[in-house]
Amino acid sequence: MNMPTNQYQPVLEVEDLVVRYGSFQAVKNVSFAVQPGEIFGLLGPNGAGKTSTLSAIEGLLKPTSGSIRVLGYDNREQPLHARACTGVQLQSTSFQSELTISEIIRLFAGIHGIDLSPERTAAILTDIKLGDSASKRFGQLSGGQQQRVSLVIATIHQPPLVLMDEPTTGLDPQSRRQLWARMEAMRDKGHSILLTTHSMEEAEAVCDRIAIIDYGNIITTGAPQAIIDENRDKPEVIAASRRGRITLEDVFIGLTGTDIRA
Amino acid sequence: MSSTLTPPLPQTKRPQYTLPSPRSVFTSLLKADLTTQWRNRRAAMLAILIPSVILISWKGLIAQFGGAFALSNCITVGLNAIGLMGYTNSVARDRDKGVFQRLCVTPAPRWTIMASRLAVQLIMIVITTLVLFYVGYQVDHIVMNTANYVFAFLTAILGGALYLSLGQMIVGLVKNQETAFGITRLVFFVFIMVGQFASFGMLGVQVGSIADWSPYGTTKNILAAALTPSGWTGKTSMAVLVTLGYIAVFTTLGIRYFRWSSK
Repeated sequence: MNMPTNQYQPVLEVEDLVVRYGSFQAVKNVSFAVQPGEIFGLLGPNGAGKTSTLSAIEGLLKPTSGSIRVLGYDNREQPLHARACTGVQLQSTSFQSELTISEIIRLFAGIHGIDLSPERTAAILTDIKLGDSASKRFGQLSGGQQQRVSLVIATIHQPPLVLMDEPTTGLDPQSRRQLWARMEAMRDKGHSILLTTHSMEEAEAVCDRIAIIDYGNIITTGAPQAIIDENRDKPEVIAASRRGRITLEDVFIGLTGTDIRA
Repeated sequence: MSSTLTPPLPQTKRPQYTLPSPRSVFTSLLKADLTTQWRNRRAAMLAILIPSVILISWKGLIAQFGGAFALSNCITVGLNAIGLMGYTNSVARDRDKGVFQRLCVTPAPRWTIMASRLAVQLIMIVITTLVLFYVGYQVDHIVMNTANYVFAFLTAILGGALYLSLGQMIVGLVKNQETAFGITRLVFFVFIMVGQFASFGMLGVQVGSIADWSPYGTTKNILAAALTPSGWTGKTSMAVLVTLGYIAVFTTLGIRYFRWSSK
């Protein structure tokens, strides 16, 4: 079945999303949209509701209320269509430990209806500098290599929307920079990316727009520099500043507080 | 430094996204699950080896108890191993590792993920049953007519479905991997020990009767009846109904309470 796409509509629309775990409300009426060809970051302290929001978008948990639409497909009413338009890189990913990485890539390509020849699979692995590792298992790869494979699998079907949950956690600086470069290349090709991150440096480096979420609410949304400019004069932000120059981290601390979250 | 928002390019041609067919999804999953099973063949061999060894060791009892008795018990042991140790443990382990979670964010319908796993176990059931028929014939000289072999083969599949549904119920109700492992080992051991001793009448009438209507007992009795010419009685038909009832209950509970992630 072909799915028509409107290239001007938001790729992802989240409206009044509520996620509850028993009596605890993790996400409270969160609304935002991700535009085509944009990298959108979701920032927040631990327990802010980032992962719950992302899990609801991924379809891993059922929200209490609200709507999530990917390219117009409601992810509750047409979950398969929504997932077909989405590529996901989970924070901790595991694949069948008995399969080689080339078999894993062919498996997920097949799930997306793509029949990858061994030659094409080898070319993909060569492109991410893992041409010699085709017969290795996923667990035998380094952290950076695993991220490269996970990203290839997430984008094997050229999805308009890619979801990434703290993609650079545990990576060394070189791997992180490489991943940023790949993300920007994906954006330039027309993919949209929604990522969750703790890292202000990452948010400033790659995100076109960010939303800061705390206690389940979105506090502010905008381009990183615009958020800094909007909030630089607030007393709590100035108080958080350490070196006189207001950074995104200062704004983040000023808006979310200095208490350590569990 | 972040770049400014890139406006959508009017000339950009957006690719069309086609929903993959469930058949192609299932085929991809089945290929991967068969590869996984092949690479875990040592564990799979045990499911075939243990009942084969039991069958061979009972050679001296064939004259007294009959070939149908021996074969039905051993096939039931094999089905028990496949459903509990094979299926349940692999599902619990992969769920804990996050393998299912990764599959659940793809457009694979969830039923295809489980159907693929069940299909692999069904193949194991077929192989185990055929191997035991062969071992029984070659070593113990158990000879049945073709109709009985075919009938027994079909009832073995029914018995396999029972144990797979039992395994599904365990992973449905028990989220913790280690707890699930422990329960499957315990259930496996209890079924085998009680079932076998009860078969020999060593546990008394009451326990023997309970064991007769347990999942082990109904499977064994149906298999034994299928392997014996004119062996089918009213009690056997009741055992079939009880087996179907077990499958219905276990499957319902196993699907209803199953979670794709243990977190």
